[in-house]
Amino acid sequence: MPEKTFPGTLDSLEPVRDYVADAARAAGLDKSRTYRLCLAVDEIATNVVLHGYEEAGLTGEIVIDAAQEPDKLVIRLVDHGRPYDPDTTRTPDLEGSLLDREEGGLGVFLARDGVDHFDYTSGDNGNIHRFVVLLSANNSAKAP
Amino acid sequence: MPLEIASSVQEKTARLTLSGELDSNSAPAVRQAVESVLAGMPESLVLQVEKLTFMASAGLRILIFAKQKQPSLKIYMVKPQALVVETLKKTGFYDAVYVTDTEIGPEVKAR
Repeated sequence: MPEKTFPGTLDSLEPVRDYVADAARAAGLDKSRTYRLCLAVDEIATNVVLHGYEEAGLTGEIVIDAAQEPDKLVIRLVDHGRPYDPDTTRTPDLEGSLLDREEGGLGVFLARDGVDHFDYTSGDNGNIHRFVVLLSANNSAKAP
Repeated sequence: MPLEIASSVQEKTARLTLSGELDSNSAPAVRQAVESVLAGMPESLVLQVEKLTFMASAGLRILIFAKQKQPSLKIYMVKPQALVVETLKKTGFYDAVYVTDTEIGPEVKAR
């Protein structure tokens, strides 16, 4: 799918999800995997907007592209905001009463959980988040 | 689909109906609605989420917010969609709320 550029604002979250859903549909992902992929990208896009741009006092864009290979679907999210390395995010608290929970880390957790492979690099070309969903032989068929 | 929010309070039950997608863009409005219905210190918060098609971690943070604002509050989620339930389960929020597939009347009996 051709890449698409969105403003680095929260208003872009819904169209970003729509783009990812279209790519997932084209790759033949089922409803559950599509949802989890959309959620993963949404969570990272949210962090990019809030931490990479807004909190850093920056404005910019998010570029997203989807590449379908025989055995996988790869979504890339690129931004030029302040680097926000998901690996440095705290591990979220997944147990215990809501009274004791802290808020941090849930987004990155859901992002990693939603795809088969997730990685992040930061350099001269910007901050690149890659989401990889492995396709089985069955996935290439259209859903009934 | 943008999020639609409807709210009401009857007796000691606050009710929020959420339709559409709950992400960090729509979450502030939901948080505001929660704050508003909690002003009267209801015993229960009933979230009608049958038409909530997407919930990001922003939704989970609203649950934390509600509970920490009013620790005695019982939170019900009515007819959540399967994929939303999946998110609740994997983040450990499923056991923190009462998930039900039946409608809840105006006065919620304490459980």
